[in-house]
Amino acid sequence: MWQNFIGELARTMNEIVQSFARFLPRVLEMLLLVLVGWIIAFVLRAAVRSVLRIARFDKWSEHTGAAQVLRRSALPSPTEMLSRFVFWVAWVGFILVGISVLPVPWLGPHISNFFGFIPRLVVAFFILFFGLLAASFFSRAALLGGVNADLPSPRLISQTLRAMMILFVISMAFEVVGIGSRTVLIAFALAFGALMLGLALAFGLGGKDLARKYLEKRFARESFPEEPSKEREDELSPL
Amino acid sequence: MPDESILSDGFVRELMNVGDVDIVVGVPTYNDARSVGQVVQAVRAGLLKYFPRERSVIINADGGSRDGTQDMVRAAAISDLSVVSDVHALRTLHSISTQYEGGPANGIAIHTILAATDLLQARTCAIVSPESTTLEPEWMERLLRPVLRDGNDLVLPIYRRPKFDGLLIRNLVFPMANVLYGCPVREPYPSDFAFSGELGSQFLGQDIWNQEQGRRGTELWMTLWAAIGKHKLVQSFLGTKTRREDAPSDLVAAMRETAGTLFTSLDAYVSVWHSTPEAVQAPCIGCEPAISDGPSRLNRKRLYDMFRFGVKELDPVFLSILTPPTHDQLKQLAGVPEEKFTYSAELWARTVYEFAIAFHKAIIGRDHIVQALVPLFRGRAHTFLTQNRDASAEEMHSNLEFLCKAFELEKPHLLDLWDGGK
Amino acid sequence: MAAQDGLWYKDAVIYQVHVRAFYDSSGDGNGDFRGLAQKLDYLQELGVNAIWLMPFFPSPLRDDGYDISDYRTVNPTYGTLDDFKAFLAAAHQRGIRVIIEMVLNHTSDQHPWFQESRSSRSNPRRDWYVWSDTDTRYKGTRLIFLDTELSNWAWDPVSKQYYWHRFFSHQPDLNYDNPQVREEMWDIMKFWLQMGVDAFRLDAVPYLVEREGTNCENLPETHQIIKDLRARIDREFPGRMLLAEANQWPTDLRAYFGTGDEFHMAFHFPLMPRMFMGLKLEDRKPITEILKQTPEIPENCQWCLFLRNHDELTLEMVTDMERDYMYDEYAKEKSMRINLGIRRRLAPLLDNDRRRIELMNGLLMSLPGTPIIYYGDEIGMGDNVNLGDRHGVRTPMQWEGGWNGGFSPADPETLYSPLMLNPVYGFQAINVQSQKRFDHSLLSWMKRLIRVRKATPVLGRGSIQFLYPANHRVLAYFRKLGNETILAVNNLSSKAQAVELDLKEYRGNILVEMFGRNIFPRIGDLPYLLTLGPYQFFWFKLRKI
Repeated sequence: MWQNFIGELARTMNEIVQSFARFLPRVLEMLLLVLVGWIIAFVLRAAVRSVLRIARFDKWSEHTGAAQVLRRSALPSPTEMLSRFVFWVAWVGFILVGISVLPVPWLGPHISNFFGFIPRLVVAFFILFFGLLAASFFSRAALLGGVNADLPSPRLISQTLRAMMILFVISMAFEVVGIGSRTVLIAFALAFGALMLGLALAFGLGGKDLARKYLEKRFARESFPEEPSKEREDELSPL
Repeated sequence: MPDESILSDGFVRELMNVGDVDIVVGVPTYNDARSVGQVVQAVRAGLLKYFPRERSVIINADGGSRDGTQDMVRAAAISDLSVVSDVHALRTLHSISTQYEGGPANGIAIHTILAATDLLQARTCAIVSPESTTLEPEWMERLLRPVLRDGNDLVLPIYRRPKFDGLLIRNLVFPMANVLYGCPVREPYPSDFAFSGELGSQFLGQDIWNQEQGRRGTELWMTLWAAIGKHKLVQSFLGTKTRREDAPSDLVAAMRETAGTLFTSLDAYVSVWHSTPEAVQAPCIGCEPAISDGPSRLNRKRLYDMFRFGVKELDPVFLSILTPPTHDQLKQLAGVPEEKFTYSAELWARTVYEFAIAFHKAIIGRDHIVQALVPLFRGRAHTFLTQNRDASAEEMHSNLEFLCKAFELEKPHLLDLWDGGK
Repeated sequence: MAAQDGLWYKDAVIYQVHVRAFYDSSGDGNGDFRGLAQKLDYLQELGVNAIWLMPFFPSPLRDDGYDISDYRTVNPTYGTLDDFKAFLAAAHQRGIRVIIEMVLNHTSDQHPWFQESRSSRSNPRRDWYVWSDTDTRYKGTRLIFLDTELSNWAWDPVSKQYYWHRFFSHQPDLNYDNPQVREEMWDIMKFWLQMGVDAFRLDAVPYLVEREGTNCENLPETHQIIKDLRARIDREFPGRMLLAEANQWPTDLRAYFGTGDEFHMAFHFPLMPRMFMGLKLEDRKPITEILKQTPEIPENCQWCLFLRNHDELTLEMVTDMERDYMYDEYAKEKSMRINLGIRRRLAPLLDNDRRRIELMNGLLMSLPGTPIIYYGDEIGMGDNVNLGDRHGVRTPMQWEGGWNGGFSPADPETLYSPLMLNPVYGFQAINVQSQKRFDHSLLSWMKRLIRVRKATPVLGRGSIQFLYPANHRVLAYFRKLGNETILAVNNLSSKAQAVELDLKEYRGNILVEMFGRNIFPRIGDLPYLLTLGPYQFFWFKLRKI
C-alpha cells in the first residue's frame, strides 16, 4: 500500500512535473510576448507622440476644447494622453496574445472580442475628436456671425449650437462603440426635440421682432418704403 | 504660362477673332446690368476719343449674372456688322464676354482678364469697376496714357471721394501697406486701375490663383506685389467716385478682402517688412484735392454700441488672439462712455498687429480671426469720425500721417511677437 | 478688229500708261507712239486687254498734258497722227482696246481759242470761256489744287477781266453754257471715234457747269451735257465707252451713271484710300463700310477700280481723322504729301513688301469693278518725290538693266525725267527683262493673276455679298453670277490668322482654289475654318459634284 501510495505520488508528481514541463514553455512564450509587447508598445508610444507633436495635435485639441478640459482636471496634455493610451492598448493587446498562447480555451473568444473592439474604439475616438473640432468651429462661427450681424444673444446661440453638436457627437461615438447607444441616442433626440420646440415657440411668439429686424436689414430699401420724416442713415463705406 | 483651362473653348475662339491688341479694358461683373451699360459706353467713348488708332477690346468676365449684364457689355462693340452706326470709328472694337466658373469672385474675374490679356499680347490693360457710374471718357486717357506713352507699369487711381468714404482703407490698409511695405499709394485696393502687359503676364505667373488671394483681395495683392517688386508705379487722378446708393456695405466681406489679404501677405513677404523697406515712389499725375466735403449721415452711436457689444460677446475669442495687456485695454475701453470714447491710434495699431500674429499662427480658424476684427474696427471708425468731423483735407491728411506713425512705432511689437517672444 | 462687244469694259483689265514714259524709239528722250507700238507684245503677254493713254495732244505741258492746246492732233514729241493710227491698228490687232483722255472742262491758255477769247471782249470766242469783272462770283466753290492756287479766278491782263479756272490758272475753264462749245467738243470726240478709238476718259466732268449759289459741282446741267454726249455716241458709235473721272462720294457718283444713259464707267475714288487704310489698320471695316454705302448702279454700268495712278493718292474723300492717320502711316515725310494726297507709287507705299503688293492686286482684281494697272506697278517700280508736283510717279518705264533702263537710246541728261537710280527701285534692280526670266517674279505673278481674272467673268460682272466673320482682320466675300460663285478670303493682317466662315448656305460645295486648282474640304454644317498666312488671300470656286 505504501508502495502504491509512493508509486501513485510519484506518478502524480511526474504528471505534474510533466504538465508543468509542458506548460512552462508556454509561460515562457507568454512572458516573452509580454516583454516584446512592452518594447513595441513603448516604441509605438514614442512614435505616436512624435507624430502628434509634428501634427500639432495639442493645438488642434485646443480648438476642440478638449485640451482645456484636461488641463483643468490636472491631467497631462492630449498628446501625452493619446500616446499613453496607444501604449496601453498595444501592450494589453500583446498581453492578451500572450495569454492566448496558454492552453486556456475559454479565454479565446474574449480575446477576439477585445481585438474586435479596438477598431470600433478607434473610430469612436476619431468621431469624437473631429466632432468636437467641428462643434468648436461652428459655434465660434455662429458667435462671430451673430455679433457682426448685430443679432441679440449671439453667445446663447453659439453655446446652444455647440452643446447640441457635442451631444450629437457623443451619442454617435457611443453608438459606434456599442455602449448604451440606445440610451444616449434617445437622450439626444429628446434634448434636440425639446430645443427645436422651444426655438419654434420663441421665434413664433417672441422672435417676430427679431425676424422683422433681420428682414428689414436685408430687404428694407427695396420692399418697405421709409417714412418720409425719418432721415436715412448712410451705410459705412469701408472700401 | 497662363492657365488656359480657366478660359472656355468658346471664349478662346472669341479671343482668336479679336487677335493681338494694344489695349484691353477688363470689366469684372456680377448682376450689374443697372450700371454696366453706362460704364461700358463711357469706356468706349474714351477709347474712341483718346486712342482711336490703337487696337482695343473690352473684355467682360462675369460671375454668372442673370440680369442681362453680359448683353449690355456686348452691345458696346463697333463693327461693320451693324447696319446703322451712329459712331464713327477708325477701327473695329470688339466687346466680348465670358462667364467664369466658381463665381462670383473678383479674383477669378481678374485672373480671366489677365489670361486673355496675355494671350492677346496687349501692351496695356485697364480694369474698371462696373459700378463706376461716374466714369468719364477722360478716365481712359488718365489710366492708359501713363502706361502706353510714359512706360509705367502700374497706374493706381486717385479719386475725389466723400470725406468719410473708404474708412477701412484709411485706417487699416493704407497704414499697414505704407509702414510695412513702404507703399504710400492712396488707393492700394483700387477698383479702377491699369497696368502694362508685361506686368500682367508676370502677375499671372504668380502662384496665388488656387489660394484665397486669387479669389478675393487680388487687386490689393497686386498693388503690394508690384510695389515690393520695384515696378514703376504712378497714381493718376481720375475724378469723383461715388458709391452706388443701394450697395450694401458688407463689412465682413470687406475685412476678408483687406485684412485677410494683408495678413496673408506678411507670411509671403517676411523678409521685406522685417527690415525697413525702401519707400516706393508713386508720383501723382494731375492730382487734385481728393476729399469732397459733405455732411456724414453715419450713425456713430451704432458703431460705438456694436463695438461694445462685440468686445463683450467675443471676449473668449479675443482672449485667444490678443495679448493680456491689449485685451485688458480693450475691455477698459468698452466701459468708457461714448463722449469720452477714443480708440487711440496706438491701441489700434497694436490690435491690428496682434491679430496679424494670431492669423500667422492660426490660433483659431483664420477666417474667424478676420471676422473678429470687425467689431473692433467699428470702434476705430467711431473715433475716426469723431476726430475728423470738422477737419479740413489737410487736417485729415495729418491725422492719417499720425496714424501711420503709430503703426510705425508699434512695429517692434509685431516683430517681437512674430519672432517668438511674448 | 471684230465687231464691238456690248459690255467689253466689264471684262477689261486696263493698263494706264503715258506714251511719254513708256518707250522712246526716236532717241529724243521722250517716249513716243512708235515705241509704244513696239511694246504692245509685252502688254499682250501681260494679259491686259485695254490701254488708257494719258493726254498726248499738243500742250505746253504745264500740267502733264492736261492743259491742251490742240485737240485734233498728236503732240509732235510723241509722233504724228499717223503714228497714232498705226499704234491703234496694232493694238486692235492684238485684241487691245484703246481709251484716250478727253479734257472737256478746260484748255491750256495757249490754245488758240483762249488766245482769241482773251484778245478782246467782243471776240466771237469771248463767250467760249467764263469771264467776270469780279472774282467774287461762285463764292464757296472749293479749291482743288490747294498747294498752288489761291483762287478759282485769275486776272487776265490782256482783256482786263477775271476768268474762271478750277485747276491751274493756266487752264481756263470752257463755258458749257455756250452751245458752240458743246458742238465743238462733240466734233472733236467724233474725230477720234471715227479714227477707231474705243473709249474716252472724260477728265474733270463734275466741274463743267457753274451756277451761282451752288458748289459748282455735279450740277443737273452737267448731267444733261453728258446724257447728250452719250446719246450721240450710242447712236453713231455703239459699243464705245465713256469713263468718268469724278472724285466724289459714291452717292454723288451714282448720278453720273444716270439710268444707264450717262457714263458707262466711273472711278470708285473713295474705295481706293480705304483699301490702303484697311491694310494699315489690319481691319476690313473701312472697306466694307464704303462698299456698303456704294449704291447699286445700272446693269450696263461698271465701277473702275485702281490702286494708284498718275495723280497723288487722293485723301479728299476721307474724314480728317482718317487723313491724319493715312499721312502718319503712309507719308511720314512732308515731301510725300501734296494737295490732300500722297504722291507715291504702289511699291514704296507698301514698303516694297511683295506679300502686300500681291494682296492689294488680289483685292483690285476681285472686288466688283474693272481693274486698272498703273504702268510700272506690275514690276514694282519706285517713285522720286524730289521731282516736284506729281512727276515722281511718272518716271520712265524700266525695261532692262542697261542704258537708260532700256527706255531710250538718248543721253540720260536729255530724258524727259531722270530715271530711278537707287539700289532698291533703280532700273538695274527693277526691270522687265530680269523679271521675265523668273517664274517667281512679281511680273510673272501679275500675269498669272490677270490670266485667272480674265478666265473668270464672275469677277468682272458678278454681284458681291460680304461675309462678316468675327475676325475683323479677314475680308471675305462671295462673287456670284448666275450659277457660278467665287469665294474670296483676304487676310489684311501682317500676322497669320484663323477664321471661321459661315458658309452654311453653300453646304455640299467643294472649294477649289483657283490658282493651283487644288481642292479644299467640302462645306459642311460647322463653320468653315481657314488659316491664312500674313497678307495671304484665297480665291475659291465653289463646285458641287
